[in-house]
Amino acid sequence: MQKFLAVVKHEYKKIVYKWAFLIGTLLFPILGAGFAVVPALIFSIKGEPIRIVVVDPTGRIYPRLVENLSAEKLSEKFDKAIRESGRDSGTFEGETKQSAALLASGFVWVDYDAGGKSPEQVRKELNVRAVADEIDAYLIVPQNIAERDARFEFRSRKAGDFVAEKTLDDALNEAVRSERLAEAKIDRKLLDELSRDVDLDAKSISESGEEKDSDMLFIASLVIGMMLYLSLTIWGQVILGAVVEEKETRIAEILFSSARPFTLLFGKLTGVGLAGLTQLGIWVASLLGIGFFLSLQPGLESVFKSLPDITPIMVVYFFLFFLAGFFIYASMFALIGSMVTTVQEGGQFAFPPILIMLVGFYFCFAVIRDPNSTLSFWASIIPFFAPLVMPVRILAETPPFWQIALSLVLNGLAIAGLVWLAARVYRIGMLMYGKRATIPEIWKWIRQA
Amino acid sequence: MSDDVTLSVRNVTKRFDGFTAVESLSFDVRAGRVFGFLGPNGAGKTTTIRMIVGITAPDKGEIRYGFLKNGQGSSQERIGYLPEERGLYKKMRIVDQLRYFAELKGLGGSDAVKRIDSWLERMDLAEWRNKKTTDLSKGMQQKIQFISTVVHDPDLLVLDEPFSGLDPVNVEFMIEVLDEIKARGKTIIFSTHLMETAERLCNDIILINKSRKVLGGSLREVKEAYGTNLIAFRGTNAAAVLADRSLIAKVVSHSDEQELHLAPGITSGSLLVALIGAGTSISKFEVKEPSLNDIFIEKVGGVPSNADAAARAVTPV
Repeated sequence: MQKFLAVVKHEYKKIVYKWAFLIGTLLFPILGAGFAVVPALIFSIKGEPIRIVVVDPTGRIYPRLVENLSAEKLSEKFDKAIRESGRDSGTFEGETKQSAALLASGFVWVDYDAGGKSPEQVRKELNVRAVADEIDAYLIVPQNIAERDARFEFRSRKAGDFVAEKTLDDALNEAVRSERLAEAKIDRKLLDELSRDVDLDAKSISESGEEKDSDMLFIASLVIGMMLYLSLTIWGQVILGAVVEEKETRIAEILFSSARPFTLLFGKLTGVGLAGLTQLGIWVASLLGIGFFLSLQPGLESVFKSLPDITPIMVVYFFLFFLAGFFIYASMFALIGSMVTTVQEGGQFAFPPILIMLVGFYFCFAVIRDPNSTLSFWASIIPFFAPLVMPVRILAETPPFWQIALSLVLNGLAIAGLVWLAARVYRIGMLMYGKRATIPEIWKWIRQA
Repeated sequence: MSDDVTLSVRNVTKRFDGFTAVESLSFDVRAGRVFGFLGPNGAGKTTTIRMIVGITAPDKGEIRYGFLKNGQGSSQERIGYLPEERGLYKKMRIVDQLRYFAELKGLGGSDAVKRIDSWLERMDLAEWRNKKTTDLSKGMQQKIQFISTVVHDPDLLVLDEPFSGLDPVNVEFMIEVLDEIKARGKTIIFSTHLMETAERLCNDIILINKSRKVLGGSLREVKEAYGTNLIAFRGTNAAAVLADRSLIAKVVSHSDEQELHLAPGITSGSLLVALIGAGTSISKFEVKEPSLNDIFIEKVGGVPSNADAAARAVTPV
């Protein structure tokens, strides 16, 4: 026991007390924060408003445009969009008003008298004012707005401000459309009423009868599956490297003269597993931290309301299945490590476990689509796939407890078998130098007492 | 098993895949002595050593340890093993790996650190304590490896080719250290193919060849058993005696002396009497002991060498 703990401590320290571990572990949350937090921060910074001149010889578009870009109109438009997407607009009231006001304040209307000037002259004058930084953009409305070849000219110094441009484009279209309708004597309200979209309410229903938003569930499940797949691959390779190092440097000989091979192997698996757990713990904690930060951002609360509920027991299951997967794949990698002679050779032989993991990862998609199908049931029970599939299934649609327990028991048995197998190959393979072991040789070692 | 025996190997056999690596081998290693384990490559030395240090178990026979009263406790913690193929963790601090090896031998905590530091001091490597293996020269790594063998103060030291890769100054230094350890009553087994070294250090030897014991015992006994029928001779007026085939089987002439091989049944004394009787004037008459090298060549029929080390590298355990 004392030797086992010595091995665990050694393996754990060897990994965790390293810059590479620190960087690798922190890189993920930092990148995550980079993708999630930084854009949120940047978009919350208000840009400079666009000073814009509208030359409208018809005199009918300009007022409509200004009205469409007012805070009230924009707010109304957002509410309508939310209603159409099938959500309850009431919960977003404060937010839509806020963002509508933000968007509306982005436009400053500058007066300009084009009376009696030729179009060329107007353009020239406005260009000069733009260069002098008196205005940022101008819009020239043609005379013949009702006709097909009517051309609206928009010139801007801030060509890259696509948010403002899109908003302006929408508002202008809206203005011209309503003008055309007015000319054709069609009632706008009636048209809106008649061309309303149907209301398709797409939500998944869990067994307990709750409704969940399936888009966010898909993303969250994918993140979990991805995280497990990546961790298991990375830590499997770490085990492979550690085993091959001890074989290559012949340290195994000293180790075997000090402790039983099984103690050494199991201690190694446990130590590296704890290191993996440490990293995953940091990742989960930072994921929760980033989530918490984002949930405080205005405008993003809605996204969080639609996220699947993650309960503490789910986190416990997640770690349990990570550990199960770790021991299954790590013992396979340890077995490979003790039969090869170099890390490169080990890399070539690492493809079977990686392939199995990949299949497990693909099963996750099937589970997200239909968590209660027969395929989902078996994929989340059978060892090898279960550590990847079951956490995703639990998140998508928590199965009855007996299924989770059955999966854990079966995986536990698989671990016992694989560790036993790996230990038998390890105790002989580690002392075989010079050439790679063949499959018949390995079979012989396994049967040897 | 008597009290002064540290290790007793009894009828030990080890087979791999129909190939017999060690065949009913028996020998005792007495406490406080240096035991030389000699033999050509592929003779079964490494296999035997691996069984002694507990890496593998014999198929037949048994290995008993004198320091385990009634066979209790773990023999591994009382043995220090220096394998022929040496290795250290490349990217780990020297002190950390020595601590790990000590801990696996059941020596932990500040006690281990104290002993490691004093050994580093003794080996003149104290300033490398916090460096990584890759910063050290090959010779320094050898010494670090040696520290890992002795740090837990084992009762039995098993050293496989301990001097390979060391420069002559360090070989002398290591011999000095081994003498100290022996003086403290520890037992040392070492295998080597350097007969001069074995001759100089060993109290007892065993020679194995083709998985079997060829001869064994104290160095003195072995040499006596092999016979002292060689005389180094320098003198004049001896031609008649030297030509007498009933006295001398063979004469080998060297630059300034002759090597006389005594005929069977003739002792050095009776030859001396014959020479004096013949009126020879003797300037040198020395009974020559056979060197271990001579015995090795005679018994094994080959020059001890490391040439086929690569071939042995793939020999299964």
